[in-house]
Amino acid sequence: MRAAVTVAGLLLSLQAFACGYCVEDKIAATYDHAVITRALASGHHVVFFHVDGAPVSRAVLEQAASGRGIEKGSARISPDMLTLSVAFDPRRISLVELNAALDRKLAKHKASLLALRVMERPADLAAVKR
Amino acid sequence: MKKLLSLAALALLAACEPSAPPPDAYHPSKIDLKSPPAKVTAERHGGAFAEGSALSMGAELKKLDPSPVKTVRLDTTHKVIEIAPGVKFSAWTFGDQVPGPTVRARVGDRIKFVMTNRSDEPAPMPQVVAAPMMHSMDFHAAMVSPQDKYRSIAPGQTIEFEFTANYPGVFMYHCGTPMILEHIASGMYGAVIVEPRGGYPTKADREYIVIQSEFYAKPTKQKVDGAPLYVLDGERLRAAQPTHTVFNGRHNGMVTSPLAARPGERVRMFVLNVGPSKTSSFHVVGTIFDRVWIEGNPDNQLRGMQTVLLGSSNSAIVEYLIPEEGSYIMVDHHFANASQGAIGLVSTEAKPPAKDLEHHNMPASATPTDPDAVAGKLAFESKCLACHSVGGGRKLGPDIAGVTKRRDAAWLTRWLKEPEKMLQTDAAAKAMLKEYNNIPMPNQSLSDAEIKQYLKYFEWIDKQPAGAVKAQGGH
Repeated sequence: MRAAVTVAGLLLSLQAFACGYCVEDKIAATYDHAVITRALASGHHVVFFHVDGAPVSRAVLEQAASGRGIEKGSARISPDMLTLSVAFDPRRISLVELNAALDRKLAKHKASLLALRVMERPADLAAVKR
Repeated sequence: MKKLLSLAALALLAACEPSAPPPDAYHPSKIDLKSPPAKVTAERHGGAFAEGSALSMGAELKKLDPSPVKTVRLDTTHKVIEIAPGVKFSAWTFGDQVPGPTVRARVGDRIKFVMTNRSDEPAPMPQVVAAPMMHSMDFHAAMVSPQDKYRSIAPGQTIEFEFTANYPGVFMYHCGTPMILEHIASGMYGAVIVEPRGGYPTKADREYIVIQSEFYAKPTKQKVDGAPLYVLDGERLRAAQPTHTVFNGRHNGMVTSPLAARPGERVRMFVLNVGPSKTSSFHVVGTIFDRVWIEGNPDNQLRGMQTVLLGSSNSAIVEYLIPEEGSYIMVDHHFANASQGAIGLVSTEAKPPAKDLEHHNMPASATPTDPDAVAGKLAFESKCLACHSVGGGRKLGPDIAGVTKRRDAAWLTRWLKEPEKMLQTDAAAKAMLKEYNNIPMPNQSLSDAEIKQYLKYFEWIDKQPAGAVKAQGGH
């Protein structure tokens, strides 16, 4: 029963983000052109996450957004829009691994991340394949 | 006879029967909701920032382009604009201007829209424009899914979508990317005019668009052409306390560059209040609105109006006659807004703007060098040009040229400091009030230092050869 509720909750959550408008608005909230330009020039990617679950503070998200493959100082957070973006080096960590690593750090705060879009080249906000 | 009476009664009854209602122009069968999905690409446009035969760039409107398909490009840019004399504001734009160009169409027309986010393009002064960011387009004239058509795009991206104009009106367009308030207050707005399918029921001699909006500007230490750069003041914005309330993006802009009309002409004015947070009580001094079409739709008609009240993103078409020679003053009759720059003129003396761009052949207007006089000039051009000219003759108040020869410095100082007290006690002030139709000089709450700057400027004016000084407040 509990599993069914979790799945239903996840589906509802995903449905909410089937709305492109909301997705792009959330991305706009943490879009930092300087971070993106620098990251893409170094062959890094920039991922935009929705912060799901219990409310978490900016400090918690800032602390979580560090570690293997994450570009130092690249985290951008919008508590109002529940969005976190970071630049990462895909040669050191895949997006799936990065998502899982950040989720592990946020698990004790009952929060998790849902990757919305990833920028691998300029002017291209690609949907994340699941 | 009895038969005749019966027939007459029947005819009378038939005449009294309610006639069939007129066909509904907005019946769902007449509304075109077809709109293919928006297309977002990484193709960057490198040409003009605004393109399309349906666009008008200024207050004077082009006639309707009869083509049933209107292709419109409005790219987003970041640039510094001058919203008042000496106030250089870091703006975000559609079509590289504030307000953005006006789109003109007709009910049933197809609008094919394309926009490239060019906020990342090199600007002449890159250090003073805002960092590149995401932008979007929200057309109030369209009936489409916002999630599809109004999505935000990143710098370098291009979005294309199309829709059919179904309702006549004067509709706002604006950037809808969060924080929307900041995007609108930074200049991202404009108007779409949709004419009724069969045109307007009246014939106008002149057509103008007037867009009212607010700016919330604060100076920084950065300089642009020697003047401070102004940026968006977030605190004032959230408190809805604008620093400038303007028509067509410019404080007192249509005072020094009035709109032209001749006596007996019928003026059709498309008025849009962008806000983002204030209402407009739009009024034209000296005439009456013969017709007001609320939201720009002739189905919503009012007659004989003195003022039309417009909330944020509300609009109207007002039509009026120019009764005789004169300058007819457009104001937001919320005079706190008018005093911040929401004022303009429709004048029978207006000359068409000079089309010749040979500025190199024109003598430069003299300008003071003393810092106090320079500050006085900027303050004067920002606050006083609505009512006073410099060498251009009487307006609502006296011509400032020669004022230091007519009054001594002590009198002028008292007058600028406390005009309301002077009007009660000073004979010259009382006489002036009578001479100028009992329109009192408002107290501008000037400090002693500011008054000194005004006097320095007035003294400098009176030392120049006649006609050498021109105050600047227009486009």
